[in-house]
Formats: sequence, C-alpha cells, structure tokens
Amino acid sequence: MRPILLQGHERSLTQIKYNRDGDLLFSCSKDHVINVWYTHNGERLGTYDGHNGTVWTVDVDSESRFMISGAADNELRLWNVATGKCLYTWEFPTAVKRVAFSEDDKQVVCITEQRMGYQCAIRVFNINRAGDGNKQSKEPAHMFNPVGSKATVCAFTAQPGVIFTGHESGKVALFNLKTGEEVHSNERAHGDVVTDLQMSEDRTYCITSSKDKSARIHDTKTLDVIKTFTTETPLNSAALSPNKPYVLLGGGQEAMSVTTTSLRQGKFETRFWHKVFEEEVGRVKGHFGPINTIAVHPKGLSYASGGEDGFVRVHNFDDSYFKSQPYGDLQIED
Amino acid sequence: RPKTSWADDVDELVSGQEEDDSVRTVIEYSVNEQGKKVKITRKIKRTLQKSVVQHQVAERQKWAKFGAEKGSARGPDRATTTVGEHVYLTLSAGGNKVRPNETEQQEEKKPVKSATGGKVVCRLCQGEHFTAKCPYKDTLGGLETSDTGAGPDDDTAPPVDAAPGLGSTGSKYVPPSLRGAGRGAGESMRGPGGGNRDDLPTLRVTNISEDTQENDLRELFGHFGRVARVYVGRDRDTGAGKGFAFVSFEDRAVAQKAMEKVNGKGYDNLILSVQWSREYPIILKLSFLIIKTEPRADPK
Repeated sequence: MRPILLQGHERSLTQIKYNRDGDLLFSCSKDHVINVWYTHNGERLGTYDGHNGTVWTVDVDSESRFMISGAADNELRLWNVATGKCLYTWEFPTAVKRVAFSEDDKQVVCITEQRMGYQCAIRVFNINRAGDGNKQSKEPAHMFNPVGSKATVCAFTAQPGVIFTGHESGKVALFNLKTGEEVHSNERAHGDVVTDLQMSEDRTYCITSSKDKSARIHDTKTLDVIKTFTTETPLNSAALSPNKPYVLLGGGQEAMSVTTTSLRQGKFETRFWHKVFEEEVGRVKGHFGPINTIAVHPKGLSYASGGEDGFVRVHNFDDSYFKSQPYGDLQIED
Repeated sequence: RPKTSWADDVDELVSGQEEDDSVRTVIEYSVNEQGKKVKITRKIKRTLQKSVVQHQVAERQKWAKFGAEKGSARGPDRATTTVGEHVYLTLSAGGNKVRPNETEQQEEKKPVKSATGGKVVCRLCQGEHFTAKCPYKDTLGGLETSDTGAGPDDDTAPPVDAAPGLGSTGSKYVPPSLRGAGRGAGESMRGPGGGNRDDLPTLRVTNISEDTQENDLRELFGHFGRVARVYVGRDRDTGAGKGFAFVSFEDRAVAQKAMEKVNGKGYDNLILSVQWSREYPIILKLSFLIIKTEPRADPK
C-alpha cells in the first residue's frame, strides 16, 4: 500500500483521532497546531489556532460538530469543527494532558498535570450543545484528585458515570464521577507509565500501552486483564481494529543497526498483533522516528500513525489485508 | 568508438512533464546514492472514483477551508500532502521470529520466501540443515545428485498448515507428492487397477560400467523373473552412464533372489553391488509343519 504523508506539523505528533464517520482525521502536535484532514485523499481542511503550548490531546464528538483540545498552556479549548473558531476556553493551574468526550457528547473529561503543589486532577464538564456552543459553564460538573499515582490517560466506559484511567505507576482504575472515589483498581496492570488508552466501539473493553514494553486489553467493568502483548520496546500507543482481530502497537527507542540503504523510508514500525493469539503478525515501516500515536478508521478500512518525526502517515489497507487469514479460517459458525 | 549509453548523451538533466490523454508522464533526472545518474519516469493516471457516503460526510466535503488553509483552492496541497513510497504488510502467523533490520529489497522478497514456512529440512536424514551440508552425506547420500533437478532450495519442508490440494487465494504451493486427492484407483499408470512405479520392488545396482545399457540389465536380471522397469543413471550432457541403475521387478521374491545372486558378481570387468533401493517392509513367511503320527506295531 502507498501511505499518504501528511506534513502539517513541524514538531512531533502527540495524538491523532478519527471522527466517528472516519472522513476526518485530527492531529495535534508539540508545535501548538491542531490540523484536520480529509482522510480519503489527505487534503488538509484547516487548522485550529489559539493554543500557546504543546497540544497534548484532542477529541471530537460523534457529530463532528465540536472538538476539544488540551495543551501545555494550561488551557482546555472547545472548537467549532467546521469553521475552526474557538468557542470556549477553560484555564487551569497546570497543563491538560488528556481529554475525551463521553459517548452521548454531553460531557468531556480532562486530566490536568501534577505540578508545583497542584495535584493531578480529573474534571468533568457538561457541554452545552445548544446554539453556537460558546456558552459553557466555567465550573466543572465533577472534580476530584485521584489518590496515589497521577493519572495519565482516561476515557468514559460503557457504564454511566464511570471513567477508566491509566496512571504513571502502571495502575489502571475505575472512578465514579459523582463521588470521585476509586471504585476498582489494578495496581499491577502495567509495570511502567500507561502511555495510551483506546476504547472498543462499545466501550466494554479497552487497550492500554505502556513503557513497560507491553500492551494489554482490559475489561472496563471488572478490570480483568483479557490479553497481553509483550514486545521488546516501550510502547507509546495501541489501537484496536474494529473489523479484523488485530491490535496495532507503536513505540520507539529501537536499537537500530546501521543500514547502508538509503533512508528514503524510515525504519520505525507499527506492529500488528493478533488480538486473540497474542502473536505478532506483521509490521509496517515508514516513520523516521518513534511512533507516538496510532488510530484506526472506525470501519477498519485504514489506519494512521503519527510520529516523533512530525509526519502523519495514513495507510489505506489493500485487498490482501482484508482477505488474509494468517491463522486460517476461524469464523464462528452461526 | 566506445559504446555510449543514453545516460551519457544527456548533458542537461532536464526534468519534464507531458500530458497525453489521462496519463501524465513526469520525467526527473537525479543522482542516486552511488553517484550514478538516474532517470525516474512517473506515469500518473487520473481516474475518477465514485463512492457513496453518508449525507453528513458529503456535506463536510463542501466545507470552506479555515485557519492556515483559509482561501486555499480545492484539493490537496502538495506542501502538506504527498504520497509515500510503497510499504508492505505481510501478515503471517507465528509471532516473534520477526526480522528486525531488513532492507526494502528483502522485504519485497519476503512474501515469496515465507510461502514455504522457512524451515530447512535435509532430504537424507530430515535434520535441520541443507541436504548438501548433511553430515551423513556419504552413507545416506548415495545418488542424491542424480539429474532429478533437485537443488538446495528444495530442502525447505512443505508448508505445515497448507491443506493438500488447496490452490486458492493465498495458499502455499503443495508439491504433488503431498496432495491428498487424486490417488484413486486407476489414477496412476501401469499395473493392475493402477499401480505406482514407486510400489514396485526395486533394486539399486551400483558400480556398473559406463557402457552398460538398459537392455543389458534387463537381460541380466530378466533371468530371475519379470523386470518391470530399468533406469540407468546418465550424465545429462554426455549421456554416459553414471555408474548406477535402478531395476524394478513385478515380484518381490524375484527381486530378492536377483539381489542375492547378482550382488558381488562380475559384469563387464566390474564387481556389481546390488541393494534394495529403499527400506522395504519385511514380510514374514509362515510355514506350517504337519506332524503325522502312526500307531507303532509292537515288535514283540
């Protein structure tokens, strides 16, 4: 396959996200810029300008109407997707590391960094979708400080009012938003900081990646570890494929040997593992630096990866990918 | 006058483009890593792709560009959007015996190589080495290099997971000897109801002279019983005998007798060596003893 190279960022990518219909891809980077691209041809639709620091995270609602972003300038911003206009800005004492929309688009959750006397905080805001969207409440609907290790990633689960979090220590936990209490936790889910969290379509399970060189799939209700994928490099991102039994893992810090071939194409790889058999099934090269973020099209038709090199590479799978069955025909009979 | 190539004729490295029908040809000249002039010809064909999308997706395609793209024309801007080089994703079972530092060319060959599973099996002793490197080459080797066209690349084991006979999408090649179907009655030549020449009791005769022909051996061994087939190993180019032959009989007992009688005998100034060509199952012959008793008359 021939990837489409999106060169809209001058510094490393921090997160990329497909919208629900899969026709738009949002990318944010350390260069303070958020870009949105049409996925069918890689054409850039526009940029969202306003942040004054590394944009760590973005998320888009299911209607592709509002986009939310969090940056190192301590701001959480709500944007109009179609026009690029910033609708509302929330300010905090510390940087915003992760944002996520709820499934009904009515709430967003965000994590603010622990720094200089401020504890790590998780806030949930109700989003007023009426009108332009620029009338939002300044105060959060819920706010709490998770005890113990600071949270690095979070997302809403299938259970109302419960969010799933990943922490610096490798812990994963479930928090009740109303009470702010940690409902359940798995302290030893990972051995090192949890770097990414992506939910399944129905939010009943999720995948986490960690610097402990592994990725794991967890049940979002019981926190049972369903699958573990162990690699030899710290992982920065993990994604689930909706239509094929694969998970995509990406990371960095490979021990690279000197190569005499030209570096027209980078050697950092996105790795495909079988979701059930926990075995690596393939790799795709291309990035010139560690892969920081991976996203899969909601219908599994393509995937995109964002790297430390500032490139986003969008790969449309070809027929052989859809037809191949490396473990044979394992269809469940009806 | 020394031969000139097109590359030497070009003094100016002029890149150009031309359009012809829907195919645009872009020619670029550059210098590659080895310092050689390289002509890159790209033929770009533009085809119209129609796809059906949801209403809101179609609406979004009409949005005006904003931010840094404000005022830009429709369509991707080459400054931000380009097409990369081919990347390959070959999906195969088996986990981490994955090759970390490969060049692009190796990656291109990979889909071909991995079809056999990559396992090396010696034809002689079934060890994990190439037949040519087999430590038992002398004892088991024998006639491996006869002109059957075998080579080192035949040492890979047949694919483990390929169902015999499957030729459909993505399946690996299955050699005829492993295919399941098609061995029904009468499928093979000769023999009553279909016999296979591999089932015939066959002797391997070695140390025969160069001039010994099929007919000579047929005559020699035909003395013991019916000879089904004779094959004399020959040099592919010269046709001279290679010093060995295979003689197949219809009856195993006949073959056995022939082996015992001919082995060690002289023929055309050479002492012949005769052995079974492969391991044959031993057939036990049971003899029945009949004991008769007669009443003994008392001599007194």
